[in-house]
Amino acid sequence: MEAWLFVSPSAIGFLIFFLGPLCAVVYFSMTEWNLLTQQAAFVGLANFKNALLENPDFWHVVRNSVIFALGLVPLNMALALTLALALSRPFFGVVFFRTVFFAPVVTSAIAWAIVWKFLLQGEGGFINQMLAIVGISGPNWLREPNWAMAAVIVTRVIKMVGLNMILYIAALQAIPRDYEAAARLEGASRWQIFRMIIWPLLAPTTLIIMVITTIGSFKVFDHIYQMTGGGPENGTLVLAFYIYQQGFKFFNIGYASALAMIMFVIVMMLTIVQVMLRRKGAE
Amino acid sequence: MTQRQIRILYRTCWTIALLIVAIPFMFPFVWMVSAGFKSTTEIFGAPTLIPRVWRWQNFIEVFTYQPFARQYFNSLYIAILVTVLTLIISSLAGYALARMRFAGAGLLMLFLISALMVPEEVTIIPNFFLIRSMGLVDTHWPLILLPVFGPQGVMATFLMRQYFLALPKELEDAGKMDGLSRFGVWWRIALPMSRPAIAAVAIITFLSSWNLFLEPLIFLSSLEMFTLPLALSNFNDSYGLPLWNLQLAATTLAVVPILIVYLIAQRQIIESFALSGVKG
Amino acid sequence: MTNVFLKGIEKRFGSVEVIRGVDLQIDDGEFVVFVGPSGCGKSTLLRLISGLEHISAGDIYIGDRLVNEVQPAQRGVAMVFQSYALYPHLTVRDNMGFGLKVRKVPPAERQRRIGEAAATLKLDALLDRYPRELSGGQRQRVAIGRAIVGHPDVFLFDEPLSNLDAELRVHMRSEIAALHKRLATTMIYVTHDQIEAMTLADKIVVLRDGRVEQVGSPRTLYENPANIFVAQFIGSPKMNVLPADAAPLLAALPATPPSAESVGVRPEHLTVVSPGEGVLRGEVTLCEYTGAVTLLHVALDGGHDCLVIYDEREMPGVGSVIGLRAEGQNLHFFNQHGQAILASAHST
Repeated sequence: MEAWLFVSPSAIGFLIFFLGPLCAVVYFSMTEWNLLTQQAAFVGLANFKNALLENPDFWHVVRNSVIFALGLVPLNMALALTLALALSRPFFGVVFFRTVFFAPVVTSAIAWAIVWKFLLQGEGGFINQMLAIVGISGPNWLREPNWAMAAVIVTRVIKMVGLNMILYIAALQAIPRDYEAAARLEGASRWQIFRMIIWPLLAPTTLIIMVITTIGSFKVFDHIYQMTGGGPENGTLVLAFYIYQQGFKFFNIGYASALAMIMFVIVMMLTIVQVMLRRKGAE
Repeated sequence: MTQRQIRILYRTCWTIALLIVAIPFMFPFVWMVSAGFKSTTEIFGAPTLIPRVWRWQNFIEVFTYQPFARQYFNSLYIAILVTVLTLIISSLAGYALARMRFAGAGLLMLFLISALMVPEEVTIIPNFFLIRSMGLVDTHWPLILLPVFGPQGVMATFLMRQYFLALPKELEDAGKMDGLSRFGVWWRIALPMSRPAIAAVAIITFLSSWNLFLEPLIFLSSLEMFTLPLALSNFNDSYGLPLWNLQLAATTLAVVPILIVYLIAQRQIIESFALSGVKG
Repeated sequence: MTNVFLKGIEKRFGSVEVIRGVDLQIDDGEFVVFVGPSGCGKSTLLRLISGLEHISAGDIYIGDRLVNEVQPAQRGVAMVFQSYALYPHLTVRDNMGFGLKVRKVPPAERQRRIGEAAATLKLDALLDRYPRELSGGQRQRVAIGRAIVGHPDVFLFDEPLSNLDAELRVHMRSEIAALHKRLATTMIYVTHDQIEAMTLADKIVVLRDGRVEQVGSPRTLYENPANIFVAQFIGSPKMNVLPADAAPLLAALPATPPSAESVGVRPEHLTVVSPGEGVLRGEVTLCEYTGAVTLLHVALDGGHDCLVIYDEREMPGVGSVIGLRAEGQNLHFFNQHGQAILASAHST
């Protein structure tokens, strides 16, 4: 009983602001509810049918989200691991570099996006001015769908890579130095040591980072909102932004709730895959 | 070349490579501050790192264009409130989950774990109607309640629980022998010994509240209620185009204090994120 | 007068029975040691007395007061933990004063008692240090000091010396003995180390699988163990237990008790003789020289192994055959259930 005094603030808030809404969104997703209907009318799975079979926007959004994830996750992880390998041992300047690479993580995504949007202006933007010096005429980054997607991915990677770098550094530092020493005595090269000792030992960390980063890539909202607003030509319209747009701009509550459910399922599946892989790794 | 020279060369090459990689991480901050002082014309003229004319008015106009001081204060007090509430609630629940046996503990854990994984975008629509039915739209309540009880709060609970689990149990027994109640053990022994976890929760919670965007965007409509990220994205002219120099000046004002704190406490802050990531 | 009385104590964790009915009388001022192999329930029993664990059945009286439902802090007991359990965020002074503060003892009185305890334990110079700045022995003293300042009626020690190195352990053992002499308070002490038990105790309680095997003074336990378990647990190296028909070969006895199944004899009570007829014979398989004595491992003809403490200068070589003898009074007979057959039945 005493224990419930400790957990009740948390448990009650959790019921009201999480479990309740989670149930509600399941119901909402099966209603027709928009500016015209003004209130919810039960329509079964019509919203899901609409999203999956009828509305071409949905698959466009899914395609964008997948491209975003496929671009962001490998780039983020490769850069994070490279930086971590370079910065896991003390040397002169290591604190400086760690501080620099992590700084964007503590910065607001909106602020980060504002500055990059500014740097990536088509005319008079700093990036293009620099390119002009070496004789390249840069594109209007945020006004062309493919370039906009690339720009959003890269700036997001720079913003968030520090976090994964820190996780990799922590994992690297937890590997006993004796392994490396033993391998070196047996004549292994640096690459062999990495490939045959470090990389396998990092596998659990890599798995966790991969899933966290993938889930994070499906959740990205503020960055896109500020940099491109989903444009140009819906070229950066990703799932989280689409939910916001449908729910709060167009007031398609039923449809937006169905989208939220789809996002929920995607994230759940990713998590289950992670748990299964982790179990398999543990065996 | 000797071994030593090879090593120095190798080191130097690495350092130069890292410096090049570091440019896109550092340069936006530098350029942000620099552009914050420029006039509109200079901003899109030939690039200069040091403004030709230091336009200090930008920083005054920031405050006249929007109630920026008020918005700054909103962000600050909300972040502090969210941090304090999260610390209290998560450490209480975390302690119970770590140390007490009670009916429903397993179920509660299961629910909390699931909450950890569900993005807030999933529940934001029902939450909007919930908040609206409470008459709390365009107040700061949703920006306080949703993070405290949302995924962020759950993560804090787990972090605290994990830390409490690792505390030696005999210390708490000693506390009981000294006459402390459960509550006393939590307050006078478990909490003082959990400073690293408390610091981590405080830092991460504060930053995530400070940077919160989706909730303010959805719930706030009047300028005086805005928080910083929302205010920053709102520096547009009547055609919806950014007022670049004001926006960048405001962004500078919002970002630089956090960066200064970060530079002072970088070790602690980075460790906090590492701690939460490892546990999460 | 603070005696402790346990009546029919039982403790279950879920379906696991840890304590299965313990009755025990502890007198005022007595130093009682609970000893037994790991998992025997000795620490649990101590925690039941302290109130940190709740009994499943039975009654606990401390100083004639029934304390089944009394909170730990109100039982008038103080505990010294195995890990010392010093609060890392408090200085030595605050650690010792913490319980007094919680009990709202006025500051002046608090300081007086801390000073007193610090003087007793030679901690004066360390009062403003933090636990991490202390050595193992110093931490141990602070843990004891924390127990002393509350003027408890009963001290509880939970394997307090197990984290110290051998030398310090011997030293702290004598300090605890001296402390008991000075305070003359009832003390209950848990250990798995039978040497600690033997040296400290007025009364030893041997536990196995949640039951009391025997209660008695160290001498009683050594000389008249109630069963094979106690016989082998007390004393080092442990007692040899041989089939009863080895007894007539070891000593000239009027008669082996008819119900005897086995006979026990301690290694230090065996003497080496020449392997003639009518003596117990065996082959030496290993000699462990320790300086003062040599420990002989002997493989007996009947297939049993036997340990012998040998204190002569010239050692029998490995492989040589020797004979073994013992005094009749040093033989312990056990029946088929491992229970001792009373000494009066066979001693002359």
